[in-house]
Amino acid sequence: MESRILRPTLALYTVAFLLFLYGPMIVLAILSFQSIDGGPQFPIRDWSIYWYQHLLGMAETSRVSQLPVGDSLIRSIILAFMTTVVSTVLGVMSAEAFRTKFKGSGPAFYLIILGMMVPGVLVGLGMALLSNTLGIARAWWGTSFVLHVVYTYPFAFLVMLAIFNRFDRTVEEASLSLGVSPAQTFRRVTFPIIFPGVLSAMLFSFTLSYDEFARTLFTAGRDLTLPLAIYGTFSVEIYPNIFAFGVLTTLFSFTLLVIYGLLMKRFTAKAARFTGQEDA
Amino acid sequence: MLTLTRVSRRYGDTVALDGVNFTVPENTYMSLLGASGAGKTTLLRLIAGFEEPDRGEIAINGERIDGQPSHLRDIGFVFQNFALFPHLSVSENVAFGLRHRTHDALKNETEIKDRTEAALELVGLTGFGHRAVSAISGGQRQRVALARTLVCEPRIVLLDEPLGALDANLRARMCDELKAIRERLGVSFLHVTGSETEALTMGDKVAVLADGKIMQSDTPDLLFNQPMNAEAARHLNAWNIFDAGLCGAGQGQIAVRFDQIDVCAEGQVPEGRLTLGAKYLTGEFNGPTALSFFRADDGTLLQIIDHLSQPRLPQLDEGARYALHFAPDALRQFHGAA
Repeated sequence: MESRILRPTLALYTVAFLLFLYGPMIVLAILSFQSIDGGPQFPIRDWSIYWYQHLLGMAETSRVSQLPVGDSLIRSIILAFMTTVVSTVLGVMSAEAFRTKFKGSGPAFYLIILGMMVPGVLVGLGMALLSNTLGIARAWWGTSFVLHVVYTYPFAFLVMLAIFNRFDRTVEEASLSLGVSPAQTFRRVTFPIIFPGVLSAMLFSFTLSYDEFARTLFTAGRDLTLPLAIYGTFSVEIYPNIFAFGVLTTLFSFTLLVIYGLLMKRFTAKAARFTGQEDA
Repeated sequence: MLTLTRVSRRYGDTVALDGVNFTVPENTYMSLLGASGAGKTTLLRLIAGFEEPDRGEIAINGERIDGQPSHLRDIGFVFQNFALFPHLSVSENVAFGLRHRTHDALKNETEIKDRTEAALELVGLTGFGHRAVSAISGGQRQRVALARTLVCEPRIVLLDEPLGALDANLRARMCDELKAIRERLGVSFLHVTGSETEALTMGDKVAVLADGKIMQSDTPDLLFNQPMNAEAARHLNAWNIFDAGLCGAGQGQIAVRFDQIDVCAEGQVPEGRLTLGAKYLTGEFNGPTALSFFRADDGTLLQIIDHLSQPRLPQLDEGARYALHFAPDALRQFHGAA
């Protein structure tokens, strides 16, 4: 049987692939437990959680200054949250619009998609020049926010487009025929059914915005977001506190993913029923 | 009373409906029979307001409803795929309209509960309210869809091939139940189907839709025995339609029912019968009946039905020619082109 050779080969390949993919992260996680007098490289002199304490400001003052991530972390989360809300709302609304063919729907589609196609550096630079010309101050909650929406909105839109693509329109018509207004129909029928998709669109928008770099670099102005702040510190000198921070943010992302997974599980249980209905 | 006057609808170059004139009287079970693609579903969607006609008027009791948004039309619609709300339980599905409709929404939970239960009882689903719609069978879903529509007491109920998704046994039972439920409520049903048996069984009246027009609208027995045109006859799947010249009965199209043609050897046709020659192709045994297929001289396919209890056909050899004959009064003559 060919699978006797093929399957182990594929398995080996997959393991290698995963190692390659997660190797840097594993190294980073191990090094974050370096002792106080160790540097950002092997060997580990002694295991400790010193750099975590240092990061959270619980260590005695040392020669290494504390990472300036507190404010920028909050800024990044707020920015990602704002972006998520606006992009998802826009994405759902425009995908809803694209369910019916309208004049100019082709160009409109590509105009939306353009936001994720054009290089971030270009848009960022363009936005910086534009805001200078117009005399608008650059800020993470203003110019950067607009670019984050331009960037993440196409993703949310595409996710919702795929969801609506396999959406059974007759359930909406059934609701209308029962005397329920279009607005109530959307609220009571359409939205609950597409909710898993909305959740995915939100996750996309959040993670894309949270670690956006190029667009933010040119448009954030004086107050930095998290990726910029981190970049700023390690362009000078690297200590294992950055690794500790990396581990903590990864844990944060995992928490988000777990919440997403749980919510999805709850709703796909209902979606499974839905396909069951179509089978009958 | 629902009235359609000269209703037309086209999609690009395709004409789906071409000046339909049609009436569904009060308290009637109306079947609408048509081949697939004949515009049956379009007709229902126009009435329900999911689409608008290009021309013509739709009215209920003289009040025009075309142009009104569909949620204000007060017309029930039962979908072929049932279109139940997958995220709601059976009773929530049924209560949905009562609770959320624009006009006269019920706020009183006890009343909603009472009416929901009454509706479920009407369709024979007492005690199923708490189930998920995925946890019930196809026939039960059909009933939920019906209860959900009926509980809102619409002025007319449109059913789009409601039995199409059910298996044969269930279909027969739902036929009877649909009829009984309608009689109890006294509301008009407009039932669209592609099956002539279903249309004839269910309908107090049956209308035939073909080429975007209503060909005939009559009681089932009148329609079956006296189709007014070739199109109507063709949809009943019980009439041979052929050129009158084949049996020397003048010109134009004539029709003779499958069960009214007899077969004998050529040259032995009894006195006073109209006759035509045809080649025997093959037979088809259906259980209580047997169908025999013949090819007439101009290529028309003719079918003769033989009932098992009263066989009247002689032994037939494939490929041989026979004389088909029938009484002159069995013939229906159609005027104009088919």
